[in-house]
Amino acid sequence: MQADTALLSGVLFAVSMWLLLQRSFVKVLFGFVLLSNAANLFVLMMSGEPVGRSAPIVGDPGPVVDPLPQALVLTAIVIGFGVTAYLVTLLYRLFLDSGTTHVDELYADEPAEREKSK
Amino acid sequence: MTPALAILMVVGLPLLGALPLAMVGRRLGARTAWLALVFPVVGFLALGWLYGTHEGPTRLVSWPWVPSIGLNLTFGIDGLALFFALIVSGMGVLVVFYAGFYLDGHAAHHGRFYAYLMLFMAAMLGTVLSDNLLLLFAFWELTGIASFLLIGFLHEQEGSRRGARMALLITGATGLAGLVGIVLVRQISGTYSLRELMAAGGLDEAPLAGAAMTLLLLAAFGKSAQFPLQFWLPNAMAAPTPVSAYLHSATMVKLGVFLTARLFPLFHEHPYWAPIVSSVAFVTLVLGGVLALLSTQLKAILAYSTVSQLGFLIGYYGLGPSEGLESDFLHILNHVFYKGCLFMVVGIVYVATHAKDIREVGGLWKRMPLLGVIAGIACAAMLGLPGTTGFLSKELMFKEIFVSPRAHGPLGVLAVVAVVLTSLLKVAFSVRLFQGMFLGKEPASVAKHFQAPPSWMLMPPAVLAACALVLGVAPELLSGPIHHLHVPGLHTPTPPELHLWHGVTRELLASMAVVAAGFGVVAWGNRTAWRWAVVPRWLQFDLLYDRGLDFLGRFAKKVTRVSGADWPGAWPRVPVATLVVLVGGFLWVRFPPGEVLDLLGDGLSEHRWDGLRVLVAALIALGALGVVILRSWPAQVVALSVSGFMTTVYFVLYRAPDLALTQILVETVSLVLIVTLLARFPRSAQEGEDVDRRWRFRQVVSLVVAIGFGIMMTAMGLLVTTRPHPNRIGGWFLDNTQPLAKGANAVNTLLVDFRGFDTFGEITVLVVAMLGCLGLLFRHRRTTGEHRAGAKGAPGLGINTAHDAGEGRS
Repeated sequence: MQADTALLSGVLFAVSMWLLLQRSFVKVLFGFVLLSNAANLFVLMMSGEPVGRSAPIVGDPGPVVDPLPQALVLTAIVIGFGVTAYLVTLLYRLFLDSGTTHVDELYADEPAEREKSK
Repeated sequence: MTPALAILMVVGLPLLGALPLAMVGRRLGARTAWLALVFPVVGFLALGWLYGTHEGPTRLVSWPWVPSIGLNLTFGIDGLALFFALIVSGMGVLVVFYAGFYLDGHAAHHGRFYAYLMLFMAAMLGTVLSDNLLLLFAFWELTGIASFLLIGFLHEQEGSRRGARMALLITGATGLAGLVGIVLVRQISGTYSLRELMAAGGLDEAPLAGAAMTLLLLAAFGKSAQFPLQFWLPNAMAAPTPVSAYLHSATMVKLGVFLTARLFPLFHEHPYWAPIVSSVAFVTLVLGGVLALLSTQLKAILAYSTVSQLGFLIGYYGLGPSEGLESDFLHILNHVFYKGCLFMVVGIVYVATHAKDIREVGGLWKRMPLLGVIAGIACAAMLGLPGTTGFLSKELMFKEIFVSPRAHGPLGVLAVVAVVLTSLLKVAFSVRLFQGMFLGKEPASVAKHFQAPPSWMLMPPAVLAACALVLGVAPELLSGPIHHLHVPGLHTPTPPELHLWHGVTRELLASMAVVAAGFGVVAWGNRTAWRWAVVPRWLQFDLLYDRGLDFLGRFAKKVTRVSGADWPGAWPRVPVATLVVLVGGFLWVRFPPGEVLDLLGDGLSEHRWDGLRVLVAALIALGALGVVILRSWPAQVVALSVSGFMTTVYFVLYRAPDLALTQILVETVSLVLIVTLLARFPRSAQEGEDVDRRWRFRQVVSLVVAIGFGIMMTAMGLLVTTRPHPNRIGGWFLDNTQPLAKGANAVNTLLVDFRGFDTFGEITVLVVAMLGCLGLLFRHRRTTGEHRAGAKGAPGLGINTAHDAGEGRS
């Protein structure tokens, strides 16, 4: 039973989703970093309650935790980093090109067009 | 020669030949036809050999393809398959020969045309010869694609494009319904093989049989242009006439008839079989007849009469007795003879006069008497005069339908009324078609533009007309072959008795009355100059189709607008909210909230508390909340990092040393990256962040969605961890890490050994991301003006400069 992990990942998911729904791309970036942390914790939770067990290394004393979620999360951390790096660069490029990181300013002329096309 | 080789020659050869044909077409021009002729001739000969060696039971030819989903290239050679395949390749020979003259000087792109035609022929032969239902479906849809390409062959014309789209959409969509039906059949019976299905007998008893049958019939109705989908066939007449003669009268549209015949042994005992099949088919029969009489375009008349006749052929299976049918092959063959022939005649008339409308032609008898004789025989077969196969077909049709009221009650009465009425209409439009083209006065435009067609072009329709005549006079010739191809379960085991003269029966009397009445209609039509022969708007179903397509487009646009998908600021809430509502709602219903709360309470009150872990968890959560609450970017980055580094500790507490190592590295590099980036932004950029701090409705929506998402994930985590899978595969890796991978750390061996390819993919992702980053960094080239203006504001992150303060936000 890992109620603390379930709660923690819930909080992280909520926070990251809130950030992702913001209109500033910097916030979205932060949201993505937190989202990948949340997802990693969520998957890791599946390896079972760690209290009273040891790392999945043969030779360690006592029962060990499930190694499979750990392997999956390890891959996910690395890929998450790749995406973060890309987002960071994308954000930088965006700012250089349009001088803003805010979606409302980026599409500032759009609402008028929307009205027109209606 | 073996059956496998024959199948390769019949199906594989045209499929392979399509590409070279397309390539040599440019050089050979109209002569491509003579090369293309090889394929149907070889196919017909191979099928002839198969016919000769046919003994009754289905012969299977199989090559493995995707055995894991039961999809193999399994062809089954039985009577029905051979019958249709012989028609397809036989008509193929005549049509390619005919097209060689028709297209000469009329169209460019000969290579493409014959490539499409061969693709179609291969697909068609594949469909009828398939034993595996999935394979049948694949070929079935391929015929639709080939038909799309051929209808749209003259794609510069708006009508061709519209007709092609319509045909593809309707036959494709109904085909997909058929696929669902096929999967259901497999669910019921456990096999995709037609032979095994036939051997096992009817599926009528199974609970899902009704659904499977309806879906498969839908596919058949779509392909054969049955009511209310009949409108695509006349619109498909935008294709060159050889295509109309081949696909849209003789072969492809008969796939619906073919599928109905295939389904007959499986489903005819089902209580809904007769009502569904015959009501749709007999409504189509009458509707097609009425529309044929009201149309004035030559090809539209033929198209609607095809729709009508297809209705009869399908309805015939609907009312079929359980001991089997007798003369379905005869009806089909008769239709192929006269309809293929008439299409070719109309094509020749077009080549000679450039007229497409029955009101623009006339008096051609004097100019082309031989064509007139051919057309006369075909029209006689269509209306059913004695001495043609049409007469035979109509006699048998009346004979079989007249007994149906006794067997089927009201449905049978409907059938009798429909058949008699349509026979009358058929007489009327056949006579009108013939007199419109060959009798009467020659219009001035015809006299001016007339150009005699090449005489060889008359050969293919002449062959068909001769068949209709010879087999009509000596029907005994047909009896043997039809019996040779009979399929147990579908046909009666005794050979049909076919004679020219059955004596004075009620069928003969009815037939005579119908012919007389039909001529009466023509006489009346001539007196009124056919002014009433216009298709009323409410019978033009394609207008409704157009409106439906239009509506679909406008509806999609509306959904896009309402959901804000064209507005990036608003859109992300929609998919996330959908996810929360769907998944969260499912969890809510499946696991009552009280139960989940109990789980949480139990978890928190348990003895095995790890105090340190709770502390770390609290710090992670605090860091995350800090990102939301803190205002300035530097503070937010610090909070984010606290959260990330504490996750490392959490990993340690979760007995995951490898994860902790990776996380700490990644967290460090990410921090450096983000700080470097933000340091490049002017401080003014960050001020823009707070412009929108006011609470608005959408912020409330976002908050609700975010919190809902968090609660949903917590509930899911609780539910999953309290119901561990009894048989986890992690143990296998632990047991085998030393024997197989020679490593003690199971996580390491999993990554680099057991799932080495996954790690390879992961590295590839990193490389791709890196290349993307490089591209983004290198792409920018500043203009001279930008270069002169200097940096875009001063470096930010608290290093406030006078320059930045003065310039403000750009």
